Amino acid sequence: MQETRSNYRESLRVLERQTLEALDMVVQGLDRALEAVSYQDVELAGMVVADDDRIDGRYLEVHQGILSLLALQTPVATDLRIVAALLHVIRHAERMGDQCVNIAKLLPLSGYEAPKDKDLLDAIERMGQLARSQVSQSKQAFADRNAELAYDLLRQDAEINQLNIDIFNRALAIGDDIETREWAMHMILVARCLERIGDNAVDIGEQTAFVVTGLFREFADASHPG
Amino acid sequence: MMEPHLSFQRQNGMSSTDPQSTTNDAAQNAGAAAPQVRATTDQSSDPGDRAETRPDPAGPGHRVSVADLRAFYGTTEAVKGININFPAHEVTAIIGPSGCGKSTMVRCINRMHEEIPGAHATGKILLDDQDVYAPDVDVTAVRRLIGMVFQKPNPFPTMSIFDNVASGMRLTGNKGDNMRERVHKALRAVGLWGEVKNRLNSPGVGLSGGQQQRLCIARTIAVEPEVILMDEPCSALDPVATLKIEELIDELKEQYTIVIVTHNMQQAARVADSTVFMLDGGVVEHGLTNDIFTTPKDERTERYVTGKFG
Repeated sequence: MQETRSNYRESLRVLERQTLEALDMVVQGLDRALEAVSYQDVELAGMVVADDDRIDGRYLEVHQGILSLLALQTPVATDLRIVAALLHVIRHAERMGDQCVNIAKLLPLSGYEAPKDKDLLDAIERMGQLARSQVSQSKQAFADRNAELAYDLLRQDAEINQLNIDIFNRALAIGDDIETREWAMHMILVARCLERIGDNAVDIGEQTAFVVTGLFREFADASHPG
Repeated sequence: MMEPHLSFQRQNGMSSTDPQSTTNDAAQNAGAAAPQVRATTDQSSDPGDRAETRPDPAGPGHRVSVADLRAFYGTTEAVKGININFPAHEVTAIIGPSGCGKSTMVRCINRMHEEIPGAHATGKILLDDQDVYAPDVDVTAVRRLIGMVFQKPNPFPTMSIFDNVASGMRLTGNKGDNMRERVHKALRAVGLWGEVKNRLNSPGVGLSGGQQQRLCIARTIAVEPEVILMDEPCSALDPVATLKIEELIDELKEQYTIVIVTHNMQQAARVADSTVFMLDGGVVEHGLTNDIFTTPKDERTERYVTGKFG
């Protein structure tokens, strides 16, 4: 059967591709931000900040594209759910990009030769890997319309949340050296950024489930845990 | 033997079980649950008040049930055994590709289908609990109670604006009581009064397309039906006239049960409380309009409303 509304279908496909590419940009930014943290690389951190303009630009592009599609093509049913979800997903991507920037901006505050604590840094790196994996998985789940894979994000998020607490406790017990303590405080803030990236990935998972099932529900409700 | 047909009984061919069952008598005798047939002579409310165009506004209303309906053109089966309930005071849209049987189904509801040579229908159409197809039913009474608005505005070309609206009443046996007031009320109800009040004797065909369609709706409601069927009422109209008709449909559902056939899915989405998707003579899905256009259950509905059908 010949495909109807081919221009419209192509526009929808392009919008989804552009949105999911924004998640690739987040992964790239996150990789650099984490490398910068590991090696206290202030120059690399500066590149993360500059590169965020790409994600912001993509956000504007997708946002405008969605407005045009709504105005000109009036999507309904699954198409409408996809469009509504893409608007959320691109917003989450933009927020995650901002968290990478927040991480990058923390690094210069500790100077070029900041003291480090191996346990704390290991935990940060583990957290970063989990956050990266979550972003990738949220993209995959959306692209494949895989609600189960989306729901699995919650499992990884629980581990990230636990690491966030561990890092806080480790920083509290890090000792009396002022510079080390200052660095550790910055690492608490980095951990907080990574934890937020994980939350955004879970939110993208919720959008995937919405597209697939037609029902929106939060996977986990922070105000009513359990 | 079935109950006497309170609304449809032939005025001069009544059942032996109920010698009083003429149309007007029936209205007076009807119990609380029976359809109220509006008496044709009690129009006393202020014609200036649009809300008062009917003596019994927003009553319990009247539902239409289609049960196991099959409709044929010769041996070709156009409607293949469908069941639909049209709730009172609601707008139900029928959507579906050309040839799916939606117009045929609607034309069965007021027995217009059988006017086509070789066409016939089986099954039941109930107005509340009265079968429109029962043998002793007066077809004219059916069409008075179940009015119809067509795709192309069809005012009578030789008649004035006034006579066009009055024609429906005259055809259904009204002898002219309160004719003037009722015509004026109908024109007010469709929002046409201000535009035509100074030229009621001008030809109806001199109006614009949108005005002509509202004139036809006025003609339909002047006979005080219970149900209004609309078959593509806006397909010949420009967007502004279309939106006026849609606004009017929203107002009319306070008084009437409305069934609208439309090819314009956005129109269905805008005006209908529930939507029926028909395909190949059958009903694929009937649900709340919001559900049909956001989360349709059937893959075929999904494909049709998203335009993948073709």
